[in-house]
Amino acid sequence: MMKTKNRHSIAVGIFTVIALIVSAISLFPLVWMIISSFKEAKEVLKANPLRFFPTVWVTENYVKLFDDTTYPFLQAMWSTALVAVSAALLSVTINSMAGYAYARLNFRGKTLLWRLSIFTMYIPGITILVTSFVVVNRMGLLDTYWVLILPGLASAYSIFFFRQFFLNMPMATEEAALIDGASRFRIFWSIFIPNAKSPFVIMGTGAFLGYWNSFLWPAMTVTNTQYLQVMQVIRSYNNMYSNAYGVVLAGSALAALPPIIVFLIFQRHIVKGLMISGIK
Amino acid sequence: MSTKGYHSPTQRMDLRTGYLMIIPSLVALFIFVYIPLFMALEKSFTNWNFYGTSEPVGFRNFELVLQNQLFRKSIGNILWFVLMIIPAQMLLTFLFAHALKGMSTRLGPFAKTSVYVPTVISGIVASVIFLFIFNYQGGIINFLVRQLGMKRIAFFNDPWLARGIIAITSMWMGFGSLSLIMYAGLMNIPVSYYEAAEVDGANTLQKFLRITIPSMKNVFILVAINLTTGTLQMFDLPYLMTGGNPVNNTLTPMMYIYNNFKSADYSMGYTVAAALLMMLVIGTLSSFVFRLIRSEKSQDE
Repeated sequence: MMKTKNRHSIAVGIFTVIALIVSAISLFPLVWMIISSFKEAKEVLKANPLRFFPTVWVTENYVKLFDDTTYPFLQAMWSTALVAVSAALLSVTINSMAGYAYARLNFRGKTLLWRLSIFTMYIPGITILVTSFVVVNRMGLLDTYWVLILPGLASAYSIFFFRQFFLNMPMATEEAALIDGASRFRIFWSIFIPNAKSPFVIMGTGAFLGYWNSFLWPAMTVTNTQYLQVMQVIRSYNNMYSNAYGVVLAGSALAALPPIIVFLIFQRHIVKGLMISGIK
Repeated sequence: MSTKGYHSPTQRMDLRTGYLMIIPSLVALFIFVYIPLFMALEKSFTNWNFYGTSEPVGFRNFELVLQNQLFRKSIGNILWFVLMIIPAQMLLTFLFAHALKGMSTRLGPFAKTSVYVPTVISGIVASVIFLFIFNYQGGIINFLVRQLGMKRIAFFNDPWLARGIIAITSMWMGFGSLSLIMYAGLMNIPVSYYEAAEVDGANTLQKFLRITIPSMKNVFILVAINLTTGTLQMFDLPYLMTGGNPVNNTLTPMMYIYNNFKSADYSMGYTVAAALLMMLVIGTLSSFVFRLIRSEKSQDE
């Protein structure tokens, strides 16, 4: 008995050490980026792991970053935040409504419309990339916030996820509310939304991250400084500052911050959502 | 779904509300998915350009795409990426999931958070980081290389090293979420299976081969297909890290399509034909995932 218990705790110890090493390897690139962004220009590209921390902590890379007038960094951060936050809110609004209707309401053509919505999951972005550009161009949306926000709002996966969640909610309260004469919108608003925090958080953060991190679509559709997204300007810095790489690192570190903060706030929900998607 | 014969209020028809609630998403999907899709299907059979007229050319575009050396090169490249990334990533995340399962429960949440953080980072930021780490002049890897008494390596001038670094970056970004999916799969295997096997005198290897692997089959398939469809559409990493170089050895189909879109060398009909060919591969794979999810669900219910 003693022997198996010892063997068990040794195994736990080994697994813990392995997991912690992997965690460290996983975090190292991010930490290295942040630390290096505080080094002097001449030290940045003299990587020496024996001198992990900067000889002198300086903020010159950040100063240079904020001073860049060709691609104003803070402007890009603001514009990206505006797009990502409004897109996340709009996205959960329209997808949760659709999910609710497909889960709880009866109307003619429901099955067909459901299938049409879900079929879009099979259509990869690469296929409609060029013709989507033609569509937004003809709609006169190029170089607007709309072109950044609208195309990604409706998501078959999100509708599917919400519907699945609403299908599993009990009928009783809803029936009682209907008998009391509450409208469907009212029921959705005051019974379903308050009880569906998880899917809203999971789908909302998912949309936020997708919008915040997107590069290809903004690169195709906006060129006006006012609308530039943060990943676009980082890509430009990467070409401009090859000799002052600290600036690129500083920009990347700041651009990575909002996704990390959002993740840390909502991580319990996000991880749960991921686990569900893995099993179901 | 008929109007007659409903019994409870929840089964009544809600025509107007129903349509009102689905219309925003339907309109958006129609404008931003279906119209572009049908336009692509139509234009792929023409010599259409953004400006000017388009004439039907039959299957000419598809023939040209399939014969094009650069498109074939990009397909070859992306298949190498799939081969480099999928088996290694699956093995590593599967092993790591075991470590997560067996490790101390007190430190478990910390490890899960740590590996997950890189998954919320954008491809652009990840590229910047790994360009920095593998920098020729003063990257940390070249520092280590020189410590070993060797000359600096120009990582991005060698096709295989460049591909390898892009693959590593991509794996770093995906590692956390896939590990947690694997972990969820492992935790989902009933403990009673293992206990029963122990009663029968099975050793660790036997339990692993007879219980763990078969129980994880569906998770493996799901992860493999998701990884493959994602990798086939890889863009940000090679675009920023190598621009497709050296000599187009890291050019991916997505980059090929984007480059054609940017340049005026080919008609858009041609570019769209290439995009449709990619859909054939990716669509088949993702429909397979979806069917798998559905079949598992029906087993649960």
